Amino acid sequence: MPPKSILKKTTVVANQPPPATDDRPVNKKHLEVALHHANIIEQRKTAEREVLDSIITLLDFPESPDADPRRPSSSDALRFSQAVAPFQPADYDSLIEERNIAAKCGYALCPRPKRKAPSAARKQFVDTSHGVQIVDKKSLEVWCSDDCARRALYVKVQLNEEPAWLRQGSHGDKIELMVENSEEHHKALPLRLKEPADSKKPADREEEDVAAAWAAHDDALADLAIERGEKPGRLSKANKDLIQDKIRERVAATPPEPPSLPKDTIFQSHMAIEGHIPRSSKSKDENDDDDDGNDAQDWDKHMG
Amino acid sequence: MADDRESYSPNLIRMWRAFRTCKEMCKDRGYEMLEEDYQITLAEFAAKCGREDGDVDRSRMNFSCVPSEEMLRKYTAPPTAKNPDPQPEIGKIWVEFNGDENVGLKQLRDYMQHLVQGSYYNGVMVTTKPMTGMALRLLRGASGIKEGPMGGVEVFVEQELLVNITKHELVPTHVLLSKEEKEQLLKRYRLKETQLPRIQVTDPVAKYYGLRRGQVVKIIRHSETAGRYASYRWAI
Repeated sequence: MPPKSILKKTTVVANQPPPATDDRPVNKKHLEVALHHANIIEQRKTAEREVLDSIITLLDFPESPDADPRRPSSSDALRFSQAVAPFQPADYDSLIEERNIAAKCGYALCPRPKRKAPSAARKQFVDTSHGVQIVDKKSLEVWCSDDCARRALYVKVQLNEEPAWLRQGSHGDKIELMVENSEEHHKALPLRLKEPADSKKPADREEEDVAAAWAAHDDALADLAIERGEKPGRLSKANKDLIQDKIRERVAATPPEPPSLPKDTIFQSHMAIEGHIPRSSKSKDENDDDDDGNDAQDWDKHMG
Repeated sequence: MADDRESYSPNLIRMWRAFRTCKEMCKDRGYEMLEEDYQITLAEFAAKCGREDGDVDRSRMNFSCVPSEEMLRKYTAPPTAKNPDPQPEIGKIWVEFNGDENVGLKQLRDYMQHLVQGSYYNGVMVTTKPMTGMALRLLRGASGIKEGPMGGVEVFVEQELLVNITKHELVPTHVLLSKEEKEQLLKRYRLKETQLPRIQVTDPVAKYYGLRRGQVVKIIRHSETAGRYASYRWAI
């Protein structure tokens, strides 16, 4: 047996490129791990983009210049609380910062410009309950009023510290707003407008809100229908007759009676197995078997 | 020169330096630029952009540049069977000096709109203070976004442009390779691009040259033994 060389075999031609490694079978486990991590990163990116888009929309909020932060319209309030739900407190801070750069009050439901500090100095004197304090000019010019500050921070403390892409399930709990017309937001939808396709424009702001709220309601119903597997244009599976608006009381007319067995089953009751009486023990004059026979013949007749 | 400087406000001198660096940056990237343009003296600058009160009018500092022939060639991919007539991936650039105290999403989006309307390929924004976090986040995803210009937006803070870092003696020469040159390099050394050393696109020099992901830059250093030593880095 010749001695085995310990040197590397040098038969590979130096100029030849190394063999392509692409045709090696993909290690399934490695692929899965890579995909898993890629999906996590992708999820994170979408969550971050969602937050950014929400901030961009909330920059120009509310749309109407005479909206009242104390009594926001229900559609505005709903959109705001939905947009803010995936935020972290830091994201909310940057929303406030961005709104301030655009010279608006930091509270997204307030259309007013931010407050101006009394002088241009960088530090300002402020009278508080415990004497005069020196504060940064910037911190004075965040809100339009103390009321807005309270309402905005009321939202901030409810935000989830956990980033949106790590949250399990939906975006946690609902954000509650500090509003004075809360009954309007919690109540069922306002009455539908009589004629939504009216030629003249809705007379005032409220009617628009009602229409918007109902439009949102219809959209939600359509989404639900798709979720149930219905096709648009078909009859809805959700039966409206199941719910009746009239409540009928069941009034007892006769005095209650103890339950009793029907007369003909009394003598067979000892044969019953969990209420069922086996056929062998039934009386012979019941013609169940005959029925079956007839059925078979009928079927034959149809075939012939 | 020294007593000459004292007649100008420090703010104006700062802006003059940032302006010159910007011009030099555009010239080094390959845009067409006249010599007197990037070697503007302080007196000329003060006459051009200064206001009566001695401060700077930043809106008069904005400028745009057109890429030179050589630059267009460098940014054009070699023709392939699929794409026999490739377009250069570069175009007009718009450089804007923003004087706002804070720059946020609003200003950035206005700026992007301006770039798209003026059909600029990309833009450089020079701000007085760093941008807000959300604006930077928008910028990170902006190069592919429909609302932004094709080549994206680069943001510099005035502070970063006071000195031209590429003129420092410890900064070696960086030369951007075209796609064709990159192919030749990889073929010559029988490499895949992933086997090259890397350079981050956030690297100060990479930012200066406006490197994009995937480009290769040739770095030429002085060597005591060999005179010159070239290495290549892949921008990521």
